[in-house]
Amino acid sequence: MRAFALTVVALLLVATPALAQDASALRREIEQLRQQLQGLTERLQRLEAQPAPPPAAPPPAQPAPAAQAPSNPSTQMSPVSPTELARPRQPFSLYQQRGAGQLLFDIGIAGDFVGNLTQKNVEKAGGGTFAGRENRFFPREIEVALFGQIDPYARGELRIESGEEAAGDEMTVHLAEATLTLMTLPYGTQVKLGQMRNRFGWSNAVHEHDLPWVDRPDVYRVFLGEEGLVEKGAEATWVPDFLPFYLQVLGGVFNGDNESAFGRGRINHPLATGRVMAFFDLTDTMALQVGASLANGETAERLRSTLLGYDLKFKYRPEGWLHPLLTLASEGIYSIRRVERGLDFDGDGIFDAFQKQTKHRFGWYASAELQPWRRWSLGARYDATQYPVAPGWQWAVEPYVSFYPSEFLRFRLAYKHTDKSHRDVSDLLGNGGSSRLVDELLFQATFILGAHPAHPF
Amino acid sequence: MVKRLTVRFVLAALAAAALVPGAQAAPKLRVVATIPDLKSLTEAVGGDLVEVDSLTRGTQNFHEAEVRPSMMLKLRRADAVVENGLGLDAWADVAIAGSNNADLAPGGRGRIDISRGIQVLEVPTTRVDRSMGDVHPQGNPHFSLDPGLAPTITQNIVDGLARVAPEHRAAFEQNRKDFLIKLDARMADWNKLMDPVKGSKVVVFHPVYIYFLTRFGLVQAAALEDRPGIPPSPQHLVNVIRQIKDERIKVILVEPWNDVKLANRVAEEAGAKAFVVASAVGAVKGADNYIAAIDFNINTLAKALR
Repeated sequence: MRAFALTVVALLLVATPALAQDASALRREIEQLRQQLQGLTERLQRLEAQPAPPPAAPPPAQPAPAAQAPSNPSTQMSPVSPTELARPRQPFSLYQQRGAGQLLFDIGIAGDFVGNLTQKNVEKAGGGTFAGRENRFFPREIEVALFGQIDPYARGELRIESGEEAAGDEMTVHLAEATLTLMTLPYGTQVKLGQMRNRFGWSNAVHEHDLPWVDRPDVYRVFLGEEGLVEKGAEATWVPDFLPFYLQVLGGVFNGDNESAFGRGRINHPLATGRVMAFFDLTDTMALQVGASLANGETAERLRSTLLGYDLKFKYRPEGWLHPLLTLASEGIYSIRRVERGLDFDGDGIFDAFQKQTKHRFGWYASAELQPWRRWSLGARYDATQYPVAPGWQWAVEPYVSFYPSEFLRFRLAYKHTDKSHRDVSDLLGNGGSSRLVDELLFQATFILGAHPAHPF
Repeated sequence: MVKRLTVRFVLAALAAAALVPGAQAAPKLRVVATIPDLKSLTEAVGGDLVEVDSLTRGTQNFHEAEVRPSMMLKLRRADAVVENGLGLDAWADVAIAGSNNADLAPGGRGRIDISRGIQVLEVPTTRVDRSMGDVHPQGNPHFSLDPGLAPTITQNIVDGLARVAPEHRAAFEQNRKDFLIKLDARMADWNKLMDPVKGSKVVVFHPVYIYFLTRFGLVQAAALEDRPGIPPSPQHLVNVIRQIKDERIKVILVEPWNDVKLANRVAEEAGAKAFVVASAVGAVKGADNYIAAIDFNINTLAKALR
């Protein structure tokens, strides 16, 4: 036992310097590795913080570049584990190209300026296309749009805008749209909720600066007000996959705040909307879109108001062209509205009874645009519409020419002649104003800054 | 009696057909590619297991493709969409949004971005804005017709398809391998043809060919568009004509959707020749698939530059 203990002590005494040397070498090695790791980490952080550097020079032409292809490509495959397969890949791939500190959504700005010249009497009556802003140049719509993916399941969009609403008025900023779209629902459905431009017809959903004309068609302005139908609520769409053509079926429920056509403004007495839109590729170069829309709600007087709409759009885009040569479009609205009419039996100017009536009114427009050159287009729109409640009608014709220095800048010049069957109430102000016949020269300048998603068809 | 036997026989045959594995063809994977180059490559990788459609044609300018609802229908029915990325087919997001197909929503398993792992050229090094035209902040996106990048692109397609149909991964890998072997063989021929003209300068209308030219040792000396996507100014054209003359450049490469008349006028003025080449699969007659499109371009350039 003593001999064993002595042997162990002797061995330890001999081995200690060797162990110490090994430990010192190991420490040096670890230190070197640590420094290397630190260097690499710093380099990686620098690279991640910067955009990808461009190649210093084009890579030299290598003989047989496909030799880059592995002789046995399958050997280069990275093994994919079942866990990896199960989870969604690249959930935030949209943002992989973005550097550190950048926003995870897009920002776009649109500026739309409009000018108009018209007769003095129209200005006095406030009866021009842009009521209260006759013979003025003004910012009609300055819009800031923020949009992007909220998460893998939903997309968000926010539009804030400002513009002159009446001469001399201070411009206010207001919420134009704020929506959330659920994109991963089953059976080809999507749900969009928030405040939005309703998909009633095709042009109602289009913002002012994206319209193919200076002004929104008269039928929309007369039946739904200058801004068209913008409501708060929710709408769901369904796209079936078994039809030989594209069909979108839409149903929505909204407050019904639009004062021109509805105005009840209660979700428990909602404005219900519906739309069916079909699209047909007639040939590789020609396509037709047809739609039918419905909006049914109550007016502020708690009376039923129903709008039925149709829309047609045809485009001819010759092979290889960057723009359509010919665009034809038409939309119409048929209004069925219950109204209350006062009856004055004794002629004392005081209504003695009220009678409910149903007013059936119709309005429509047709438009044609020709774009033979990339930078120039010319077109014309014909409007004809009755008024939703008051008697009478108006028609208008509006030829225009547009110039596009680039995709993001546009100038437009138009002449609009409007003929109304009656003088407006505003004409009777006694100031010499009249807007029965209106001739206007309209000018529009529009720019886009930043992101601006493409518009379908 | 005979009638009863016949009915029994038919029923038995139907039951047997239903029980025999593979008696009914398995449904093909439905894939939509945003551009025809990717359709061709996906067909090569997917083989008989996929049915591929393209949202655009080769004669179109992919930057400005019109989003038609018919695209949305194709996407509605698709199991996967193959995208170029780098901003070339950003419009596809709008078409996908209108398709109501949950599998293709951003981050969905059916989204296949083939720009992953690509060594991107012409990445701006300074701040960019639209005064420079349609510059792509992420770099030049026209890489799909560079055969040297086909291994990376097809690998991305294999990975994407295997996400949707993991049971077919081995088949996709085998198809890819076969395709790359075929491409490799053609590459030897193409290099042989291009060797004598290596280092030659060419002028392009729009910077679509930088990857292809670089791959085969050619130099892009100038572009007719002084700023991408913006029609060229007369002064710029005068400068390009002078440069073509000074540097004795023989060739102007044009895409089918460019102003071919303008390119011909410049070429005539400068003593060069304008060629409409396959900027994509299907852009010109004879460029019906990926290899044929490259073949067309190589043969055109090799002849023109000789």
